[in-house]
Amino acid sequence: MSDDEHHFESSDAGASKTYPQQAGTIRKSGYIVIKGRPCKVVEVSTSKTGKHGHAKCHFVAIDIFTSKKLEDIVPSSHNCDVPHVNRTDYQLIDISEDGYVSLLTDNGSTKDDLKLPTDEALLQQIKSGFEDGKDLVVSVMSAMGEEQINALKDISGPK
Amino acid sequence: MLGVSSGSSGGGVGPEDLAQLQSTMRAIELACSYIQINTNPAAAEATILSLHQSPQPYKACRYILENSQVASARFQAAAAIKEAAIREWSFLATDDKGGLISFCLGYVMQHANSSDGYVFSKVSSVAAQLMKRGWLEFTPAEKEVFFYQINQAILGSRGLDVQFIGINFLESLVSEFSPSTSSAMGLPREFHENCHKSLEQNFLKTFYSWAQDAALSVTNKIIESHFDVPEVKVCNAALRVMHQILNWEFRYSKGGTRASINVFSDGIRPDTGSPRKTECVIVKPGASWCDVLLSSSHVGWLINLYSSLRQKFALEGYWLDCPVAVSARKLIVQLCSLAGEIFPSNNAQMQEQHLLLLLSGVLPWIDPPDVISKEIEEGRSGSEMIDGCRALLSIGTVTTPVVFDQLLRSIRPFGTLTLLSMLMGEVVKVLMANSTDKETWSYEARDILLDTWTTLLVAMDGSGGNAWLPPEGMHAAASLFSLIVESELKVASASATANEDDADCLASVSAMDERLGSYALIARAAVDSTIPFLAKLFSDRVARLHQGRGTVDPTETLEEVYSLLLIIGHVLADEGEGETALVPDALQSHFVDVVEAGNHPVVILSSSIIKFTEQCMDADLRSSIFSPRLMEAVIWFLARWSFTYLMLVEDSNLGSNQLQSLPSRACLFTFFNEHNQGKFVLDIIVRISLTSLMSYPGEKDLQDSWRNLANAFANDKTLFLLNSVSQRSLAQTLVLSAYGMRSSDASNQYVKDLMAHMTSSLVDLSNNSDLKNLAQQPDIIMLVSCVLERLRGAASATEPRTQRAIYEMGLSVMNPVLRLLEVYKHESAVIYLLLKFVVDWVDGQLSYLEAHETAVVINFCMSLLQIYSSHNIGKISLSLSSTLLNEAKTEKYKDLRALLQLLSHLCSKDMVDFSSDSIETQSTNISQVVYFGLHIITPLITLELLKYPKLCFDYFSLISHMLEVYPETLAQLNSDAFNHVLTTVDFGLHQQDVDIVTMCLRALKALASYHYKETKSGNTGLGSHASGHTDPNGVFCEGILSRFLRTLLHFLLFEDYSTDLVSTAADALFPLILCEPNLYQGLGNELIEKQGNPNFKTRLANALHVLTTSNQLSSSLDRLNYQRFRKNLNNFLVEVRGFLKTR
Repeated sequence: MSDDEHHFESSDAGASKTYPQQAGTIRKSGYIVIKGRPCKVVEVSTSKTGKHGHAKCHFVAIDIFTSKKLEDIVPSSHNCDVPHVNRTDYQLIDISEDGYVSLLTDNGSTKDDLKLPTDEALLQQIKSGFEDGKDLVVSVMSAMGEEQINALKDISGPK
Repeated sequence: MLGVSSGSSGGGVGPEDLAQLQSTMRAIELACSYIQINTNPAAAEATILSLHQSPQPYKACRYILENSQVASARFQAAAAIKEAAIREWSFLATDDKGGLISFCLGYVMQHANSSDGYVFSKVSSVAAQLMKRGWLEFTPAEKEVFFYQINQAILGSRGLDVQFIGINFLESLVSEFSPSTSSAMGLPREFHENCHKSLEQNFLKTFYSWAQDAALSVTNKIIESHFDVPEVKVCNAALRVMHQILNWEFRYSKGGTRASINVFSDGIRPDTGSPRKTECVIVKPGASWCDVLLSSSHVGWLINLYSSLRQKFALEGYWLDCPVAVSARKLIVQLCSLAGEIFPSNNAQMQEQHLLLLLSGVLPWIDPPDVISKEIEEGRSGSEMIDGCRALLSIGTVTTPVVFDQLLRSIRPFGTLTLLSMLMGEVVKVLMANSTDKETWSYEARDILLDTWTTLLVAMDGSGGNAWLPPEGMHAAASLFSLIVESELKVASASATANEDDADCLASVSAMDERLGSYALIARAAVDSTIPFLAKLFSDRVARLHQGRGTVDPTETLEEVYSLLLIIGHVLADEGEGETALVPDALQSHFVDVVEAGNHPVVILSSSIIKFTEQCMDADLRSSIFSPRLMEAVIWFLARWSFTYLMLVEDSNLGSNQLQSLPSRACLFTFFNEHNQGKFVLDIIVRISLTSLMSYPGEKDLQDSWRNLANAFANDKTLFLLNSVSQRSLAQTLVLSAYGMRSSDASNQYVKDLMAHMTSSLVDLSNNSDLKNLAQQPDIIMLVSCVLERLRGAASATEPRTQRAIYEMGLSVMNPVLRLLEVYKHESAVIYLLLKFVVDWVDGQLSYLEAHETAVVINFCMSLLQIYSSHNIGKISLSLSSTLLNEAKTEKYKDLRALLQLLSHLCSKDMVDFSSDSIETQSTNISQVVYFGLHIITPLITLELLKYPKLCFDYFSLISHMLEVYPETLAQLNSDAFNHVLTTVDFGLHQQDVDIVTMCLRALKALASYHYKETKSGNTGLGSHASGHTDPNGVFCEGILSRFLRTLLHFLLFEDYSTDLVSTAADALFPLILCEPNLYQGLGNELIEKQGNPNFKTRLANALHVLTTSNQLSSSLDRLNYQRFRKNLNNFLVEVRGFLKTR
């Protein structure tokens, strides 16, 4: 193992959605799959079975799409699934009545299949800036076949 | 019955007055009962408050006190008297003042035999408070009147109840005069100080002897009685007052020299910072107390009293923990810690006699230890035995080990150390027997006794190994130590299979470390037997491990070995805490007859452990014996041990003393050095480290073999499994090891080889055309994180020798770093690593760089700042989860700190510069970068964020540095940014942290002195910022220097701060005064006008005058003037704070 070079391979469309990684190396604010859901780790602790036993990792993580809290315990030398989390920035073009957004992609076409968040507070954060006529860039997070808007940035320039 | 005639100031009371008084009383009684049953409490409280606040409520209060049947109404009336009198004190006629006090005193004595004790304590404390309020105005004759009355009461002529009340009053009075328990009166600090002094010098001893007399007067009655008599109550009160008086903070005992008053912060007893758990306050009342405490056979009386009480414990009304017994024991323990000038220096015998007397009184509590501990285990209270242990601790605190040991010899065939050893041995045995339940008497006793040993032995340990215990004491220490080890091993094997709760474990680790430290002291007091003993135990356990391998569950033995390693580690070596720990004196100076290294017990013990640990390199043995937990102890031991013993350099400065020439010492020193076994052992240790890194990757926690480690590091991916801190420190260690190479070229080449693989992988990645997609893959994120951690580790290991290679390393990844910053803009964990790497790299490199290199680095940092700010300003995270939102905030905060550090490091180039070019050729203006950086950072800094101590520290160190070095930059900032910076400085001035305040003061000094110097030479300086301006609404805004002059003066005069700040504050105040002389005059006058007391007015005016004129202070800002002003300010504050600051 020590001799072969690491080659950087780009993942193509059908690439696996997750990647195995040893539990002991997953850190706070990394990602992990728990019960089939992609999560962000907010707490890692290790425990042992008896004083001279081997360590286990206890993960507390938040589902990155539903914000639900999930927990898991894995022996530190076992592998965990780590989700492949991608984020893309788009300029926000329009917000439609039926709850969808219209986004401008890098190659100039539009992406119209993304729904606005249903939570009123988040919705308001997006809407209010847009209604004020600001230039907004949204960042869309995707993992394991799901996607969601997760951040917002005003690029209208300094006030 | 109408009790109105008893008032001393009242004349006749008319019938309409009487009706009025009665209705007030009803109202108050009603309110009190409403509060008790919780009906409409707000209205009830308002009624009571109106009594407290009404002018001159004394007549009504007296009426209530004398006539009301409701106890809480009487309580409220007393409270109202106190509050009103303190408030109206200066308007009251002298007669009324005295009248109120005599009323209170008379009241408690008249009603001495009734119940409702809390009302009497309240009235008595009101009397004490009023007495203190008037203390400095009453003439001695006036005080005499009160004290005559009290003395009469205490003498017992008016019955036991009155006697008790009198003693109780003394207790209230002493507590009112003692700084930590006094109540606030809104008066200058000086007032409280003067009261403290007056009481200590003129009354305290008298009070003590009154209490003594009172106790004496009832002693016979108590001794002769066979049941609980009322005299016991008086005796207990007297004992309590004596204890309280001895607890007094004696300040004026040293023959006339006036201890200085701390005018800067409230007078609370300073924390001595001793590591011991049990507090032992040394009582030092001064020479004048000799007659009361020593020559009056006071101690003998007390011992007798207690021993006769002991005989009554079986009787009705007495028991081991009855109040009078507890008080008597407390006083006995306290007298054990009597020290200082009370014992004449020409009579050493006196203290020993005193202690012997006490010890003989205490002895029955603790001797014979086995019998007593058995009785306690059978249900007797352990408090007497624990008090006995405390007495030993007190005696140990005021004596040397030799004197301590001698004390007992006159009455027993053995010394005190032997008794101490037996006693603790007994306690340890009890602990061993029931190790499961905590919080028993034996835990407490063990801690106190351990503190006693520590107190006795610490002094010896630091004495250069010349002081040894007497032979019998050594024997005592040795046998105790073997018992302790036995019990620790037993606890270890019993707990081996237990699952420890994490939180519980963390708390006990530091406690355990402390305990092991104390055990080590005991072991070192008798190294001749303890070291061989430990060696034998260790080889026993190792043999047991090998014998049972594969057949018996080794867990219990493993835990025992684990404990032994910890104990031996503590005995053999001290913790370095950043300095090289020397071989403990005791180990150096004993074993005089050993001439051959191989026979030196320390060498034998060390070698056997190293031989054992070496076995972990065998894979079979590793899996069967070396559990992760054991490995932890192995590595800990090796680290601690090698710090002290490995590769010792025989330093001729080490000891000018005779010990240097001892052959035993020499062989201990040379055995593990370079020419002997040192190389061999070092090799083993490095290989063990390598093994532990490779074989225990999932568990957390220097030249052939070293090369293997370095190779593995560079090429082997298994090491990626280590956690990030280990990655970093491993890289750091490896790079640091290059320091030891022969030539600078070789060192640089080594670092290059080591890191080439890492840098090229980053370069490759960033050049990949599909970087954007690739970078998001989990395995790539992990690879990048690991590489960045290693680069950071390497960067933080920059040394002059390897600086070149590390500079090139950073240079080669500059572009990749910027590209990654772009790609990972949403991956905050990676961004943080990138920033931290740059911070450490710039910190290590900047001072060595030549001008053109500096320019490259500065440009790089500039781009970095721009990219970072373009991604982060105005960004909002959207998430339903508050945890994730908080995480995002924390990440921003950490980034911000890293950026602040980066700017601070950039600033330092102008201060520390090792480059060859002269200052003039400096082509880049760092202040411009920092100025730009400040623009980016200030909008992100909020006062809310500054509440985080680390960020706050970094921010203010940058600001104070900036202002000191580039004050002109600040003047160029636009007014928003400028005001923002100064708002934060104002905020910083009000922080608790001394460092933060110091930095803000330095910033102010820089600002004010810059402005003063500039304007003096005809420039604008801070311009409109300093002169103030009129805002659009026509309101004049004061200039910032005026604002800060006000703030700083207020701070210096009225707030609490540490004395350390005075000089820095003086440095800031001086230029501020020079900038704004008119405002300063105005503020001074205002302050003088506000003083009501004409005496204070003159004192303040004089002090203000002296502040700016004495010591030939002139108006130029040079070093000499600053120094003069510091002195002036210090004197000024000492003079005026005493009366300006009130309590």
